[in-house]
Amino acid sequence: MTTIQGEGHIFTRFDDEMKQLHSTVVGMGVLAVKQLRDAVDTLRTEDTEKAHDVISNDTKLNQLDIDADEQITTIIAKRAPVAKDLRELIAVGKIVSELERAGDEARKIAGLTIRFYEGTSRPPNEEILRDIYTLADYVSGMLEKSMSVFDDLDLNGAVEVLNMGLKLDDQLQSILRHLSTFIMEDSRNVGNFVDIVLGIRALERFGGHAKNIAGHLVFIKFGFDVRHEGIDVIVKSIRES
Amino acid sequence: MNEQVKSDSSNLLEREVVDNPDFVTVGDIAVENPAMTCRDVNVYYADKQAIFDVSVDIGRNEVIAMIGPSGCGKSTFLRCLNRMNDTIEICRVTGDIALEGEDIYARSMDVVLLRARVGMVFQKPNPFPKSVYDNVAYGVRLHGLARNKSELDDIVEQSLKKAGLWNEVNDRLDKPGTGLSGGQQQRLCIARAIAISPELILMDEPCSALDPIATARIEDLIDELRQQYSIAIVTHSMQQAARVSQRTAYFHLGKLVEVGPTNDIFTKPIHGLTEGYITGRFG
Repeated sequence: MTTIQGEGHIFTRFDDEMKQLHSTVVGMGVLAVKQLRDAVDTLRTEDTEKAHDVISNDTKLNQLDIDADEQITTIIAKRAPVAKDLRELIAVGKIVSELERAGDEARKIAGLTIRFYEGTSRPPNEEILRDIYTLADYVSGMLEKSMSVFDDLDLNGAVEVLNMGLKLDDQLQSILRHLSTFIMEDSRNVGNFVDIVLGIRALERFGGHAKNIAGHLVFIKFGFDVRHEGIDVIVKSIRES
Repeated sequence: MNEQVKSDSSNLLEREVVDNPDFVTVGDIAVENPAMTCRDVNVYYADKQAIFDVSVDIGRNEVIAMIGPSGCGKSTFLRCLNRMNDTIEICRVTGDIALEGEDIYARSMDVVLLRARVGMVFQKPNPFPKSVYDNVAYGVRLHGLARNKSELDDIVEQSLKKAGLWNEVNDRLDKPGTGLSGGQQQRLCIARAIAISPELILMDEPCSALDPIATARIEDLIDELRQQYSIAIVTHSMQQAARVSQRTAYFHLGKLVEVGPTNDIFTKPIHGLTEGYITGRFG
């Protein structure tokens, strides 16, 4: 298919409004990744004060979510977009929700720091937390990749994120097995086990949001909805388009 | 077309279409059980070619919208469908256009009868300087479609009802049609067209001279008329094309670039020129 991607509208204000929205979404992506990295950092450094900061910073993401929705509503009302413009606005509406929810998952990790280091119970040892660090690196990388695809719409990157999502499932199983060995080794770890599993679950959801964003980007570029499709079908559809 | 707002990429796409004599329309030009079929239609004004090898079907009980920048040939093509171009001396049409399988350019084709079978509604409402009643009854009388006055009354009433005008004019049928509002006049013209039971109705920008309320009434009417007639409409309003049609055809510099289901054209068009035009990247 030949396209005129990148070509501006006759109404240049329309382009300005789309660029403004694009930049809001990119800003949300950057903030969501930073929130997760900061949250994990508070676990590493046992810094509960910073953990509270991460939690309060989540309101910035919430505000950007509202701002983006307002911009989308205004553009639809003023410009009556069609084709790729319409697909982009519909998908961006979903992407900002994914980013806002990814921010919620980061907040949960910061919550772990407060629970572990502000309370009186015995905090987990570094070894148990290592899986959280590894997984957080992995899923923040997924979101960074998704946001880079959002910028250039190179769908090879989107396929990469979707494949990372598949590996994430395997990683999760392996981490849960690994964690269970700590309980068997020392039953005093049971108290923290539930919190750690909830943290792992939050990270898995964070990666899930990154994966969903990759799916929305396929919709922007080609107009087919891959939310409920397997990776093989998605790759095949992209190749055939 | 406004050349100033076209960038290199759309110019390149345009050249790919215009300079390619073997260019094939993107999308399904054919439909099952069409009311009209057009194949390899070319139109020339003296030496200048205005339409290039256009092939497309008009489905039964469907509205097909023809869109494209000014000068793309959509109105010229529409006027071929009931031989309105015959009135232009320098105009020459080649190719095959068949209504219900019957070649409309055949020597045996009675053009007056053809225009009764393929009615037309124009951009500006053009009621005859006669009463509302006579405007609708005119074609019926001309073609001898009513056996007596009571049958004629019935046809006039039914046509005005189908055009959504009866309730507004039934107490002034003897008043001049030209005294109605613009929207009413256009609906009167539609009533005049449907009074002679056409198989296909051609509409050339029927709402461009109307206000939004009158436009909405005509659009509702088009949707109702679709139950009984096939309709081909030329419009500059892409929102109108999206609202009223089931299929959309995009014309560009005399070529039919893409045709397909309206939902697909306005959400995921295949050809870059279609996408560029409907998203407002050139016009």
